[in-house]
Amino acid sequence: MDWRELRQNFGDFVHGYFVSEYERKLREQFVDLNDLFMLQCFMELVGLPNPAAIYLLDVYPFFLEEFHTWHRRMGMDRSPLGSMPCC
Amino acid sequence: MAPSHGDGPVAARQHALLLKRILFFGGKGGVGKTTCASAAALAASRKGKRVLLVSTDPAHSTSDIFGTPFDADEREIHPNLYGLEVDANLEARRYIDNAKAGIARMFSPAVAKEAGRQIELASSMPGVEEVALFDRIGDLIVDRFDAYDLLIFDTAPTGHTLRLLRMPELVSAWITALSKRRRALLALNQDIDHVRLAPEAINPDEDPILKTLDARREKLEQVRARLMQHNFTGFVLVVVPERLPIEETARAAEVLAESNVNVCEIVVNRVLPDDVDGDFYRSRRGQEQVYIDEIKRRFAAYPLAWVPQLPTDIYGLENLERVSAVLMGTLS
Repeated sequence: MDWRELRQNFGDFVHGYFVSEYERKLREQFVDLNDLFMLQCFMELVGLPNPAAIYLLDVYPFFLEEFHTWHRRMGMDRSPLGSMPCC
Repeated sequence: MAPSHGDGPVAARQHALLLKRILFFGGKGGVGKTTCASAAALAASRKGKRVLLVSTDPAHSTSDIFGTPFDADEREIHPNLYGLEVDANLEARRYIDNAKAGIARMFSPAVAKEAGRQIELASSMPGVEEVALFDRIGDLIVDRFDAYDLLIFDTAPTGHTLRLLRMPELVSAWITALSKRRRALLALNQDIDHVRLAPEAINPDEDPILKTLDARREKLEQVRARLMQHNFTGFVLVVVPERLPIEETARAAEVLAESNVNVCEIVVNRVLPDDVDGDFYRSRRGQEQVYIDEIKRRFAAYPLAWVPQLPTDIYGLENLERVSAVLMGTLS
């Protein structure tokens, strides 16, 4: 292993370290924002009225996957909403 | 035989009301909204306008007045006069069936079946019918506007209608908030992609959720804009010279003004004629005069139309024709 190769590896390592750190931060932020979004879409879950509930029926099909990860992360093993039968 | 409360140039008033493109008739239950809406529709159709009369009142008395059933879809009930009855229940059904069809397209039958059962439950949620009803009215205002010269809505009693008119504001604010969040979310997702150099995120312009939300909002905004166009949309409040209807009308006029909806006329219905006989009627007439003065005072800012109490009930075209003539100022 010559000197140039070594330097290249070290550079990659440092780059990867900082980028992964940055990516983790972004992911955390993403998850928080997503929780808020989900909460706004499924206010019925926490017993609050949702003025746009009927309009959201349109978008429920697109939500299924995201909803599944969300309720798992919220500590609910099974889907808490019958209308979202993801599992 | 009509009472001589007449005010303002009659021709100008008739002009103003029939020049509108969208008219709502509202008022307290039982004051004669349906009669006045039907009469106005008839008058407009006689003037050669293509008119769509929409009954949104769950009581659906329009069918009885015209003596012919109104359907859920528009149908010609008189030359140039088309009518339909909005059934909130049915509209909620339609909407929910649509949502179910969407799910059935995208998921396995087992999932669709399970989801269908639950969506069924959602249909009985409070507020769903109201939104569905509003949705239908909005569709008519936007999609059928060009097909007719005049759309006339016979609305449900006041409180219900006021909420309905404020709904686009509320719901569109809500959807705006949702779509903003969604957009922020997707932007963040793109950032993550960017650092990972492995694009897999959804382009915000192609996100189906965002697309659906934005389409919804756009339509709501369109309906709202049409409702607030003072030059072609008007709200006609119907009142009878009695205590409670006057109070309710005053409140309604206030709320409508707050919501920037144009109250273009107040119809005072069932005014006792001057030439009534008997002590009973004279006494009633005396009491009524107090209310009539009050109406003139409190609603001085609005054009008033006076429709006398007729000797018979209003049903059938012949009777309606008389109200229509009075309302339009040709028989006064």
